[in-house]
Amino acid sequence: MNNKPKAAPTAIKKSAGTRVFNGISYVLLAFGAIVCVLPFIIIVSGSFTDNVTILKQGYSLFPRDFTLEAYRTIFRSPKDIIQAYKMNVYYTVVGTSIGLTMIALTGYVISRQEFKYRNTVSFLIYFTSIFGGGMIPWYLMYANVLNLKGHTLAIWFPALMSPFLVILMRTFIVGAVPNAITESAKIDGAGHFTIFFRIVLPVLKAGLATVGLFLALGYWNDWYRSSMFSTNSSTWQLQFYLYDLLNATTAMKQMASNVSMKTADLPTESVKLAMAVVATGPVLLFYPFVQRFFVSGITVGAVKG
Amino acid sequence: MKKRFFGVIMSLVLIAAMLTGCAGSGSKSAAEQLDQQGVVDIPVNNDQKTPAGTSSDGNTAKGTDLSERVDLVFYVMGDAPKDEELVEAALNEKLIEKCNATVDMQFSTWTEFQQKYANEITSQGADLIYIANWLNYGLLASQGAFVELDDMLNTVAPELKAMVGDNMLNMCKVDGKIYAVPNTWAEYVSNGLKYREDLRVKYNLPVPDSLENLEAYLAGIKANDPTQGLLTVTTEESQGFKTAFDAAWVLNFKYPWVNANGLDYGLTANYDTPSDVYDYWFSTDFEDDMKMLKRWADQGFWSKSALSDTNNSDAYKNGLCVAEVAGQNPNKQITAIADFTNAGEGWQSAYIAYGEKHNVIYPGHATQNGTAIVRGCKNPERALLVLQALLCDDEINSIMQYGIKGVHYTVENGIYKNLQEEKGETVTFPYEGFNTWNLRNGATKLPQATDVELQKMFDKYAEIGSKTKFPNVNIYDGFSENYETYSAERSAVSNVMRQYLAPFEAGLVDDVDAAIAEFRTKVKDAGLDKCREEYKKQWLDYCNEYNYK
Repeated sequence: MNNKPKAAPTAIKKSAGTRVFNGISYVLLAFGAIVCVLPFIIIVSGSFTDNVTILKQGYSLFPRDFTLEAYRTIFRSPKDIIQAYKMNVYYTVVGTSIGLTMIALTGYVISRQEFKYRNTVSFLIYFTSIFGGGMIPWYLMYANVLNLKGHTLAIWFPALMSPFLVILMRTFIVGAVPNAITESAKIDGAGHFTIFFRIVLPVLKAGLATVGLFLALGYWNDWYRSSMFSTNSSTWQLQFYLYDLLNATTAMKQMASNVSMKTADLPTESVKLAMAVVATGPVLLFYPFVQRFFVSGITVGAVKG
Repeated sequence: MKKRFFGVIMSLVLIAAMLTGCAGSGSKSAAEQLDQQGVVDIPVNNDQKTPAGTSSDGNTAKGTDLSERVDLVFYVMGDAPKDEELVEAALNEKLIEKCNATVDMQFSTWTEFQQKYANEITSQGADLIYIANWLNYGLLASQGAFVELDDMLNTVAPELKAMVGDNMLNMCKVDGKIYAVPNTWAEYVSNGLKYREDLRVKYNLPVPDSLENLEAYLAGIKANDPTQGLLTVTTEESQGFKTAFDAAWVLNFKYPWVNANGLDYGLTANYDTPSDVYDYWFSTDFEDDMKMLKRWADQGFWSKSALSDTNNSDAYKNGLCVAEVAGQNPNKQITAIADFTNAGEGWQSAYIAYGEKHNVIYPGHATQNGTAIVRGCKNPERALLVLQALLCDDEINSIMQYGIKGVHYTVENGIYKNLQEEKGETVTFPYEGFNTWNLRNGATKLPQATDVELQKMFDKYAEIGSKTKFPNVNIYDGFSENYETYSAERSAVSNVMRQYLAPFEAGLVDDVDAAIAEFRTKVKDAGLDKCREEYKKQWLDYCNEYNYK
């Protein structure tokens, strides 16, 4: 007997068309990936390069005259940047936790079929994302009406709820929690809070992670509210601290007619790059672990039913 | 039925939203329009919206009612110094004694300062505020952002009025009323050219004090050292309506214009005859000048990619260029001297003001640095009184400008010396640490070590300036343009300038005549005539008002 049973095929044979398509896709995606990662590599390498070399020879992929001078400059008087870091962490933690709570509660309420006015409330929330009063009324509201200028509240309060995230949360809940479950819980005598905490919340983990991530990243990267509302540099966010440093440098150099400050003290190119690395470094390390939530979160709204 | 109706309304609302979005700036508030025009508010923010006492309505007679303590906010530009609290406390101690008021300094930082300045004025968060012509003082004043000071100066602050002088105060008049108090230090912010003196001596080249000599200087360096970068000119300093490329600034050597690079929209006038406005862009002089610039570009004075380069402000310091021709005022020369001394390679920088060639030099306009009181301030008289103390009282002014004597600074041979800098420590309160350039008192200002050199230049310019037709008067910088009626044409003209004027001003076209012809057609099509007509009218009205004939 010499017919050994043929081994079952372990892979689906790909047609030539598929292979070509795969090949092209890989090339394009690789190209896209390089384009995205290249600037960052240049920033990191620049932060390790001697400043004069950058000015004379421009940026490069690998540090030419390796030096730690830029980082030494930053950490010589690290008080300011550490304060900015602390404030940033504070705003992110406080803002994300309170915002997430509010968004989850709101999303839950407007997802309930028995809530008579849920369409009105949803509409009102959508409405604010289309029509806004504009920048000046927004500013006057916080500075004059609520009198929050200079307060840390003015920095994290305005971004607690965004219509997009509320709708996202609502969609999550509608998708993840079928009516039958909540109805049966109600029949068993559960009150609203019980339903929310014991039935809805546990299945909502992916939704919470996504919305929480959006919120946290929004808070971490924000600088605009610091710019508008803070009156003291001790309440600045990290990104604003860096951005302001860059702007101060540019402004000083252009306004030498009015400013008697020595331009030699302003941060050099390599120091600016090092600051960028210091500010984004932690986020970069944290991101790969939560990346999958972003992808699933963005597409969840697209799937109906 | 109800749903259908609702749906129809929703679609109408959305369409309306789309249309209003396209309409653009129609519905913006005055402040937002101010922002668009680059008006920056330097409001000094105070945490308190209402002051401790009620507004001091009191008699505006000399004996102003000082019984209630008032807390004022003074908004200035830039960043706060590290010792902000310390110096503010010392300052307020003296101010309470004198005026029963305190001052809280608030800073705009350099991020979005234009927006924040506008916000401060709109929200009336500040009492005293820094003003400057580059913060659209004229436009703001005419829109009612500030309190009129005419009467108050006579009743509340006669000492201040006497010190500043009617001449300077008149330059701060808008629509016939005074809205700001300028500082009293005469500063020459003339434009000029700074160049490497050591290279000139090394290669035995002429002093570049005219177009011919500048060409010889640059060509000479190139002949001796072909790899040396000559000019790193870009379009950065030329974003307005006068030129589109920085190299064109050298033309100031040729013309005795009323302002560097003439007036806007290709019009110009000479300093001696400011009301006599003539056309530059459509003249044969313009064609000759552009051909000259092309010759320079062909000789390799600047790089072929100059149109897309961004400004490298460290180029001169690092030897990437041998001269800078655009936006160079005397202070930048002083900085360059300091940079070269620090670098210690024996390089030397020299400076020539364009105005020296034709003897047209004038100091900075009074509105270069001034102080105004924001409309809506609850204690305008007290604010003015405090301003008087800040400017006229030497002790208070010194604290404001220099910090605490013995801690931050000391005076040696009449020159300011920063104690912390000397010891190599971090400077917690530098010279003019509060960025209060508007509180400089010309009579008592302490010179820094670098100011000695600066003062020599200023003395030279003062001498030239006193012999001009309008002695030591800066005609142009007091003018502010109101372009609301032709802002669309204005934007179009700007686009045409960036696209068609820049290339041949940079000498980077093959056929200059064709390029000029194309530019001239295109700019007329964009609405140049309308801009010119309005602008000329406003300029002539301005000249009439101040008698610049």
